[in-house]
Amino acid sequence: MKKTVKILFLASVTAALLVGCAGPDAKAPAQAASQENREASGTDNYTIGIGQFAAHGSLDNCREGFLLGLAEEGIVEGENLTVLYENSQADGGIASQIASNFASQHVDLICGIATPMAQSAYGIGRKQNIPVIYTAVTDPVAAELAAPDGSPVGEITGTSDKLPVTQQLEMIRAILPQAKTIGIMFTTSEVNSLSTIEEYKAAAPDYGFEIVDVGISTTADVPLAADSLLEKVDCVTNLTDNTVVASLPIILDKAAKKQIPVFGSEIEQVKIGCLASMGLDYIELGKQTGKMAAAVLKGKKKASEMNFEVIEEASFYGNTKVAENLGITFPEKLTSSAKELFTEITE
Amino acid sequence: MTLIMGIFEEGLIYAIMALGVYITYKILDFPDLSVDSTFPMGAALTASAILSGVHPAAALFLSFGAGALAGCVTGFIHVKLKVRDLLSGIIVMTGLYSLNLRIAGGRANVPIFTQETIFENKFLAEHIPHSLSPYAMVLILLVITIMCKVLLDLYLSTKSGYLLRAVGDNEALVTSLAKDKGMVKIVGLAIANGFTAMAGSIYCQHKGFFEISVGTGTMVIGLASVIIGIQLLTPESGSSMFSHLHKKELRPTTAVIIGSIVYKACISAAISMGMEANDLKLITSILFLIILIVSTERRRSVKGHA
Repeated sequence: MKKTVKILFLASVTAALLVGCAGPDAKAPAQAASQENREASGTDNYTIGIGQFAAHGSLDNCREGFLLGLAEEGIVEGENLTVLYENSQADGGIASQIASNFASQHVDLICGIATPMAQSAYGIGRKQNIPVIYTAVTDPVAAELAAPDGSPVGEITGTSDKLPVTQQLEMIRAILPQAKTIGIMFTTSEVNSLSTIEEYKAAAPDYGFEIVDVGISTTADVPLAADSLLEKVDCVTNLTDNTVVASLPIILDKAAKKQIPVFGSEIEQVKIGCLASMGLDYIELGKQTGKMAAAVLKGKKKASEMNFEVIEEASFYGNTKVAENLGITFPEKLTSSAKELFTEITE
Repeated sequence: MTLIMGIFEEGLIYAIMALGVYITYKILDFPDLSVDSTFPMGAALTASAILSGVHPAAALFLSFGAGALAGCVTGFIHVKLKVRDLLSGIIVMTGLYSLNLRIAGGRANVPIFTQETIFENKFLAEHIPHSLSPYAMVLILLVITIMCKVLLDLYLSTKSGYLLRAVGDNEALVTSLAKDKGMVKIVGLAIANGFTAMAGSIYCQHKGFFEISVGTGTMVIGLASVIIGIQLLTPESGSSMFSHLHKKELRPTTAVIIGSIVYKACISAAISMGMEANDLKLITSILFLIILIVSTERRRSVKGHA
């Protein structure tokens, strides 16, 4: 009896806490009900779970684009689509719990944004027969989400945000005809960074560059690593390495003092002070992913029937304010095809 | 139903780790932070071992051994080098982070989706009837967890196990029995970290991949499970006056396992209710505090009646 009281107490405390903390912007919990409705009424209402591994600009853009892509196919949030969105804040344990929660709410599809979330979603999805669509997975083959020929390993497919390495090298060569060495800083624990560096090293000689890399393990290592890297190189280019990107202002500040150009890997970095980038448009990437998801939801195609996709064409983003500070003018052929030119540095 | 199965699966995996934390925190009174790294160590080792052809079940024992070794190191640093308990855990935890990446072949994320695991293999596919397959995972986990629990219970009733409990309660007693209390602590830490690494191994096989970030907060999950289980489900170990009245009460090891499932249920409820992952840790800590306060209240009132 006593035990029952204790358990009841625990349960009520938890419930009270949760309700109290959920706050005004708490999302409505997922309803398996919506699915039942659909089955009962025969109309096309969908419930999907979007799990995002971490909160940063590119991934947020992916999510936004994903919903736009779905909307273009007539699947609109609030009308015939219920979206459950969770962010795991870079915690692997939470990521897998989010995925199993989606599964328990019988969502029609799980969208996994970034590699660990995609893997968590697939880990549970393949057992519960829930299709998974991923985006912002740099190397789906290495993550075992796709076979080496690009075909899916199960009911899972999506889009990759692989960096356009050769286009980036070509752009750097066009802007800096004299440069010989490119510096890259990366976090030793990030898988995607390692594979991208290999790719840079393989492609660099074709454009007459040599790559100098420096590895760090935490944010705290960035200042010293930046000092040592900037001693050795003519310019720096970034990967999509989460730790390095988060500390980018430190690197930009040190590089600006030495008048060394820093190239970004996507639009957000150019906004905050990188000279230029051949970048992916993550909203476009998301849209492309959303359309794949729509095909699966409507039953036109199964996830296992679609190979993963990449965005072939990267676009040029430049920051003219940074160029002016460095005394560099962008070549005409780049500016004419620029997707966007920024005239100031956003702090 | 899926939700409940999910909670049981998660809860049972972490229950094995919680058994380890029960030894260090509750029995030895040792705040052992090294579990934050021995958990991913088990996962890393398992991913690498399975990829190089080791049998998935053997990977469990391999992980237990490696975890035990790491526990010995924590114990050695604390007992022999006389570093404070919290610090020895932190030292091992920090060092293991790099070692874990090495074990995983320098990668922070190693998938084993296509490999056989203890949950997915030819034997199970042939021998488990189709109607049972949705429950196969929970059943397998239940068997493993109960085996761990029974083994731990058996161990705790051996002479060495009694000494272990004595060290936490009364170090002087152990010394007066002419036993080396340092050795006993090292053994306790080894078992605790062995369990933790084994839980990591199961986690990796369950999810189908190793990821360096899974270890974050392991200690807290373990503590939460132990506190929920012990404080709410068993009589206070110190009140010997009442222990004879509570012969039928749960064993602490059972309580810890239930605690782990309850904790995972709370987290799952929090996520379903639309809470953000940002707030989860705050909830956990508030929950802790309340349970601790409630359980001390209860003890006071018991004394009042006596």
